[in-house]
Amino acid sequence: MTKWGMVIDLEKCTGCQACSAACQMENNRLPGENYQDVLYYTEGRQPTPVLKWIPRPCMHCEEPSCMQVCPTKATYKTADGVVLIDWNKCIGCKYCMVACPYGVRFFTDEKPLIEPSVKQVFKGSGDLSWSPPYKGPQQDASRSIGIQPDGVVSKCNFCYHKVSKAPKGTSDLDPDDPALREFVPACVRTCAPSARYFGDLDNPNSQVSRLISDKRGVRLLDHTGNKPQVYYLAGDAAPVVPSTRSGANNGEGEKA
Amino acid sequence: MMPQTQKRGSVNAAMVAGIAGLVIGLGMVFANLISNGHAAFNTGSNGVTWGLPVVNYVFFALSATGLAMVASLAMVFGFKEFYPIAKRCIWLSLAVLVAGFTSLALELGHPFRLLWAVPLNFQEKSPLTWMGLFYTLFLIIALLKFKKINDGDWDSSTSRKLGLAAFVAELAAGATLGAAFGMMAMRPMWHDPQLPVYFLLTAGLSGAALAVLVTYLAYGSQQNMPEKVRRLMTGAMPKVFAAVLGASIIALAARIISGLWTNADGMQVWRAIVGSPWFWLETIALLGSFALLLGSTTRNSGSIQFAVSVMVLIAVFIGRYEFIIGGQLVPVMKGAWVQGLISYTPSLTEWMMTLASMSIALVGWAVGEKMLNLSAGPEEPSSAREGLLQDRGAPHAA
Repeated sequence: MTKWGMVIDLEKCTGCQACSAACQMENNRLPGENYQDVLYYTEGRQPTPVLKWIPRPCMHCEEPSCMQVCPTKATYKTADGVVLIDWNKCIGCKYCMVACPYGVRFFTDEKPLIEPSVKQVFKGSGDLSWSPPYKGPQQDASRSIGIQPDGVVSKCNFCYHKVSKAPKGTSDLDPDDPALREFVPACVRTCAPSARYFGDLDNPNSQVSRLISDKRGVRLLDHTGNKPQVYYLAGDAAPVVPSTRSGANNGEGEKA
Repeated sequence: MMPQTQKRGSVNAAMVAGIAGLVIGLGMVFANLISNGHAAFNTGSNGVTWGLPVVNYVFFALSATGLAMVASLAMVFGFKEFYPIAKRCIWLSLAVLVAGFTSLALELGHPFRLLWAVPLNFQEKSPLTWMGLFYTLFLIIALLKFKKINDGDWDSSTSRKLGLAAFVAELAAGATLGAAFGMMAMRPMWHDPQLPVYFLLTAGLSGAALAVLVTYLAYGSQQNMPEKVRRLMTGAMPKVFAAVLGASIIALAARIISGLWTNADGMQVWRAIVGSPWFWLETIALLGSFALLLGSTTRNSGSIQFAVSVMVLIAVFIGRYEFIIGGQLVPVMKGAWVQGLISYTPSLTEWMMTLASMSIALVGWAVGEKMLNLSAGPEEPSSAREGLLQDRGAPHAA
């Protein structure tokens, strides 16, 4: 059985955020609520600070803690390894958001990042939280695809409306293959430096499996036991996330 | 129906204050939620996900657990001196649980969907599922138990079994509430296999404080109390209160010390917590209360007990806030949107939910005092009463 996964090569990633923009368009995301973000942070202090970044989609974990804590089984894992949310079952308790080690989930009803609120400008009809001027044809609440209703949690769905239609037995969804291009997640398809790869982790001959094996792919926060299906390639010496510290305990104000 | 010895004035005042708080609190909450949705809260996906409404819920739900524990001292474990406050504790336990549920329901995106979605999709791996089940069971069983004792049936086999079942359900509910936080390996400040024990211990503390508080609110002072209540409030009750308070201080100190010592990511929030004036208010309230309860004269003073119960409740509420909010202040993934700890201050709507929950508890208690004779205890057999009098007249020689 296919187990979809992603590989992100940090040595190629330029932090251009084309992936975030593509995700925003594909999934009608609101400002500040991208399913796919690039996180920027500074390491070191003056005079030698270094700007770093890390792209962060949902990790679609093998053992997703968000799924296990959901009291209504609204969060579930498909047979092909994608973690989705059934918005019809979500009660908006936000336990999944608390339990996600990667901070990739969003609750619909929050203060807008920019004013005026986009949701107020393009008011939704029915139970949909807003009505964007451009919207993809797909809307499937049971698979967290499309515009999210009020009062529920959402997150990256690996563009399941595309991926789920890929021909069976496909080992890699290569955006350069015209026959497969339509089934490739928007962030992978748009990545200008081709830093993203999407394919079957269970197939040892897939490109993603070979990259993970040959270039020693690593997963974020592996100690939590979630076992992400998103792997990062970071080169020989570069740790993926050098520090998860927030800065409060980084030694500011302390003298050596 | 209130006995003559009860202080009607404080009950009436509590009722008026509670109704006023309910109208103001719920009125503002509904107005803001209808106009702004949950954007009326200062919570956010990139910040604190569970805000003050969840703090309210945990505070009140665990206080309900604690009150059930106090009632169980008499009704499950046979410490008969606690009978005079047992009925009041059970009723108040129900009232504060409703207060907690209200805050939680208003925090949920779809509270009514919960009613069918949780039972129909039972996720046995989720602590929230079990917590909801156990608190619902407690609500039903405790209501049945209360009906029994309200009808004068304290000692029948059914009544005893209901009391035991309510106690077990309440313990299980409080423990799974602790597990809901303690199991979160990705939140080091919360992650602790023994957290259910810590929650039960501190539940007992807020339960004891509330039991003392409402006893004084009901009677006004020790002079107005019937003999059995006065004996309890100058005997076992303050001693139990002191013991639970002392144990809670040790447990909290252990958490703070290990939190400050460790280098583990996520635990640096403890430095921010101990740097807050609220932490020192909590510390002074807990240690000061413990010191007052250690002295035999101060321990038995009515005004001291009343003050201590208020101080402890404030300290426990601050502690719940520190725990639940503090566990979310260090971002799980460092990002450009947060430099240092996440900033969070509850919105007015969130504070109004606290007011509404407190008011529900207050009105619930006052209704019970007015209509349900909460001072009632089991009728003692005449032979037992004579034995008790003899015991008091002629103490046993050592």
